Amino acid sequence: MAERAISVMVVDDHPIWRDGVARDLAERGFDVRATAGDAPSAVRIARAVRPDVVLMDLNLGTGSGVDATREITGELAGTRVLVLSASGEHNDVLEAVKAGAFGYLVKSASAEELDDAVTRTATGDAVFTAGLAGLVLGEYRRMAAGPADPATPQLTDRETDVLRLVAKGLTARQIADRLVLSHRTVENHVQSTLRKLQLHNRVELARYAIEHGLDADPPQ
Amino acid sequence: MIRQPGRAVRKDALKPLWRASVLLRVITLLFAAGVVAAHSGQYADDALAWVAVGVMAVWTVVTSYYYLGRARVALWFTVVDLALCCAVMCLSRLVLTHRQLTVDDVPLIPTVWVTAVVAVGAVRSGMVGGTVFGAVVAAFNYGVRGYVDTDLTRDLVLLVGVGFVVGLASSTSKQSAERLAMAMRAEAATAERERLARTIHDSVLQVLARVRKRGRELGGEAAELAELAGRQEVALRALVAAAPLESNGSGQADLRPRLQVLATDRYQVSVPGTPVTVPESAATELAYLVREALENVDRHAGPTARAWVLLEDLGQEVVVSVRDDGVGIPAGRLAAAEEQGRLGVARSIRGRVAELGGTVTLETAPAQGTEWEIRLPYPGRSCG
Repeated sequence: MAERAISVMVVDDHPIWRDGVARDLAERGFDVRATAGDAPSAVRIARAVRPDVVLMDLNLGTGSGVDATREITGELAGTRVLVLSASGEHNDVLEAVKAGAFGYLVKSASAEELDDAVTRTATGDAVFTAGLAGLVLGEYRRMAAGPADPATPQLTDRETDVLRLVAKGLTARQIADRLVLSHRTVENHVQSTLRKLQLHNRVELARYAIEHGLDADPPQ
Repeated sequence: MIRQPGRAVRKDALKPLWRASVLLRVITLLFAAGVVAAHSGQYADDALAWVAVGVMAVWTVVTSYYYLGRARVALWFTVVDLALCCAVMCLSRLVLTHRQLTVDDVPLIPTVWVTAVVAVGAVRSGMVGGTVFGAVVAAFNYGVRGYVDTDLTRDLVLLVGVGFVVGLASSTSKQSAERLAMAMRAEAATAERERLARTIHDSVLQVLARVRKRGRELGGEAAELAELAGRQEVALRALVAAAPLESNGSGQADLRPRLQVLATDRYQVSVPGTPVTVPESAATELAYLVREALENVDRHAGPTARAWVLLEDLGQEVVVSVRDDGVGIPAGRLAAAEEQGRLGVARSIRGRVAELGGTVTLETAPAQGTEWEIRLPYPGRSCG
């Protein structure tokens, strides 16, 4: 680990789970700055403590994890959101990723996987599960099947190849071997698929806001 | 418990139409009585005219009770109704003078009262019933008068037209009531499902997740228990997350939930965020094939092998891949097994995919795992 411990904030509405994860991360040397049990306090606390990584559950009692993700990633440049959610909340996960989350991990992931995912998120690598890759692939194809619009982001052939292999469970290393690419290039392709999706989402939101006269102030 | 509102809704849907038909009969009865009163003294048989009106009044009361009181109106009763109405029409031949019947155009005894029975036929049996009842009444109209002219033909058009239009209204409201009932059932099922999912998510899953985490850290026997808890956790999550397995009534089904339920702690299933609709039979068959492929992983790939199922919707093509990271199959073994005529997994999967009009490829190498890719073409279909 680097000279400074990675600072983390855990957002989950279940105290058992939230405190358990916070303790696990602290034991593994992360600097757990704060925890939050709902979306509004998550945004408020994140502003105050500015953690490197926010572990975000999407299934929050009050407010939506997707909106909290959008606000945190929009406001705090140094903070990245990693969605840690029950598997299968498909559209939520996709929405959170489009709103700016840097990756997604299922709650059934092991402690090592969580450790690795938080570290990677802090260093700016996208954290993809096979499930997320399947969702992102599906989203690009859905957009491509829609009305033709030059603003619609598209995957390059290489990016499609990479995402399909991620969705089939191959690690970045295995993908690099199979496609004869460097490990770094594979990571860049994966990140690029996310970034295009997020950029498009921001443009769409702005366009929607202008068309509907909502561009004055963000809702509180 | 989920209520079954279907029957009640269908029955209630026709209630207003039945009420309207009864009201129509009462009003037309008054009109008929008025016409008889106006012509009283000019008929061939005045007494019989009033007897006919009496019969019509009694029958109006009987039918009102029957049609408003019954949950289900019997076809035979409506036919009896029609027969009685036509019989009263026939009575006109005895009541009216020949001149009244042919030259003066005096109305028949029941006058427009008979339109009520056309409405009854239409409400009971839809467009066909309405049209047939209207035609029968019109036929008796011709028969009793004994000639054909423009006025009687206008009556025919009106009677058949009324039967057709009311019948259409009846069929339409029956259909929309059925659709409403289906929607209500689906909604009730979804609400129940969501309630269950929330409960499971809030209680069982949280505890299982914690047991798995903590047990793994403690090691030893606790780790074994953690392993068990973890397996149940993943299976339960997949079950709770999967959409209902219902087809949408048009013979099409979303393939995603059928594959999602196959997820376990060793098998991951990745699907798009929007439904992948294929014909019901293809969905069932594909789910079976994937299950077969996963069972094959269980048997041959080794105890720690993991597998990934990927569902892709390319619009004109649906692609399902099943990859495992197990020991793989030595080159030629699959082909050899096939040549020997053994019904191996390859034969079975290939045959079934061919029946669906698709293609299947298998890539494998020792220590490299195996990867099935099933492609089903759907020309003219669009993604999502």
